[in-house]
Amino acid sequence: MIANLDGLNKAFESKIRLGIMSVLMANESVDFTTMKSLLELTDGNLASHARSLEELGYICCEKKFIGRKPNTSYSITDLGRAAFSAHIQALASFINTQQ
Amino acid sequence: MENKEVINTLNDIKDLMERSSKFKAISGLSILIVGVLASLVSAFIYFFLGDYTINTPFKWKITIIMALGLLLLAFLTVFVMAYLKAKRHSMRFTMDATMRKLLINFFVPMLAGGLLCLALVQQQHYGLISSITLIFYGLALINCSHFSYPALRYLGYVELALGLIDCFLVDYALLFWFLGFGVAHIVFGIIFMLKYERSK
Repeated sequence: MIANLDGLNKAFESKIRLGIMSVLMANESVDFTTMKSLLELTDGNLASHARSLEELGYICCEKKFIGRKPNTSYSITDLGRAAFSAHIQALASFINTQQ
Repeated sequence: MENKEVINTLNDIKDLMERSSKFKAISGLSILIVGVLASLVSAFIYFFLGDYTINTPFKWKITIIMALGLLLLAFLTVFVMAYLKAKRHSMRFTMDATMRKLLINFFVPMLAGGLLCLALVQQQHYGLISSITLIFYGLALINCSHFSYPALRYLGYVELALGLIDCFLVDYALLFWFLGFGVAHIVFGIIFMLKYERSK
């Protein structure tokens, strides 16, 4: 059974990181506050998970100012999209082998 | 990892993707109410004018004023009931990217159609107003269905088809308005409630 789990990506073991990726797959870009309320996270929690995904090159983070307020928004990279799709594929094929 | 756990994970992902990119607070009951209001207004105009042909500028003026009143009332109903639905299901109801996209995609065709009608009224070409309102409303629904319940597009197709049929017929404006804004909304509202809002 372990062999079937080969395709799973370690980075997406955390529910939060998987959640961030799911939201970014469906949206062009999502700002920090929206992401936080969607996933029901605290500031620090989201920031640290987002940073780890950013370091892997799966998402990119754009910081800018709207008026005087700092605004952070995230979007998915091509690498991240491929990694996420591979992960979902692995999950799906896991279910298929079980049946 | 259990099979069930994997399925749960996949469902969570799907749910999150939908919740983050689609505005799901639209209430089926509000669609039904809009249909009932539109039917009542059509019936009122019918009895007020004595028959269903709107063929004088005076009749058109009465109809257009009533229709604008109905439009405002309809928007207000949908908006307030969407707010209540969002509150009931603890959904987000803020001007976020999803809601902005929904509104832009709905109101761009609506405004275009509205301005076109305004020009037609000004030039006293009343004949095509009913079909243009239906056609542009249909296009607006099809356009914004990507950011809300995808099923809204079917209501859009119905409005579009009615509008196009109406183009070819003269003097049936009130009847097509009644069918498009009244009957279609009532039927769609009921289907919507049965399909998406039962036992939730």
